[in-house]
Amino acid sequence: MWQQLQEELAPQGLAIIAVAIDSDVEALREWAAHAPELTVVVDRDYAVAERYGIVNVPATVWIDESGKIVRPADTAMGDDRFRAFAHVDSSVHHDLLRRWVATGERDLDDATVADLMERPSPELQQARLHRRIAVELHDRGDLDGAREHLGAAEALAPHDWVIRRGSMPMRDVDPFGTEFFSFVEEWAAAGSPGYRLRTGRE
Amino acid sequence: MSEGTTATVINDTEHVQVTATLGDRWLMQPEAFTALTGWTLKPEGMCRDDVCAPIYRKDDVIAADGQIDLAGAAPVIGLSAVIDTARGVAALAASADARAADMTSLQAPDFTLPDLHGNPVSLHDFDRRKVLLLAWSSW
Repeated sequence: MWQQLQEELAPQGLAIIAVAIDSDVEALREWAAHAPELTVVVDRDYAVAERYGIVNVPATVWIDESGKIVRPADTAMGDDRFRAFAHVDSSVHHDLLRRWVATGERDLDDATVADLMERPSPELQQARLHRRIAVELHDRGDLDGAREHLGAAEALAPHDWVIRRGSMPMRDVDPFGTEFFSFVEEWAAAGSPGYRLRTGRE
Repeated sequence: MSEGTTATVINDTEHVQVTATLGDRWLMQPEAFTALTGWTLKPEGMCRDDVCAPIYRKDDVIAADGQIDLAGAAPVIGLSAVIDTARGVAALAASADARAADMTSLQAPDFTLPDLHGNPVSLHDFDRRKVLLLAWSSW
């Protein structure tokens, strides 16, 4: 769907930059082969997405022609494949996007955007740095070292999706397995942190 | 003075090889610290351009041999740090406070990241266009 939106909206001036918070370039290539119109970049250290307050995937941020953030990080599905699980109607976000690209009209003003930006706690920032070291050690084949830092990250940021779920492949854990579902329960019980906007929620 | 070993620092934009003395602490020569962070140790504190940050706990920041302790110096210059001296890897990023201040500005931070062929792509390549940043992953 992102591929279709890019084709549909490129003539009106939209560029979609797909930022992959991932270190598995082979897996990314497979996905990207289905979306040749998108600009795909790899943020293996989670150093760019973090600066935009992105705490999970998929998520979008809108940036206008002057380089201003006009819509903060928000969960946004390409289609309704996960609708029953995520309880989000993806078309709501897509229609807002079409309207913004066509007319410049936004659904959120600057003050609301600034309020909704996910500002990190000191603990979350430390957790993200442990994750960066873990990725580096994993690349070097030091799996024990990677696990040690991932463990430290999870202890510091137990409700962060990139820290918890995004580390599962590095730990050979199924990101759709039992550990994932127990994480979702913990996260929901903590008040679903990081998901204040959730456009199209049902 | 210790010779130092090669170690890796991962900051917001790159992986940098530095020379450091690694033991209980991660110590760097002042010149190496400046090359890494852009901040210079001066009598008035850690300085960059016209700004100097005072050093309140000197022993945490400056070792007896005059080298700079990365863990002690990071908070002085507004950085968050995680340091693994045993493995010779450190990671640095803006502190939570500095990040929060950046976000309040609503200015989209510029970045350069590799595409799937390793070619650099920057946000500023898309100047004067509307951009949808789409975070995704294979997991």
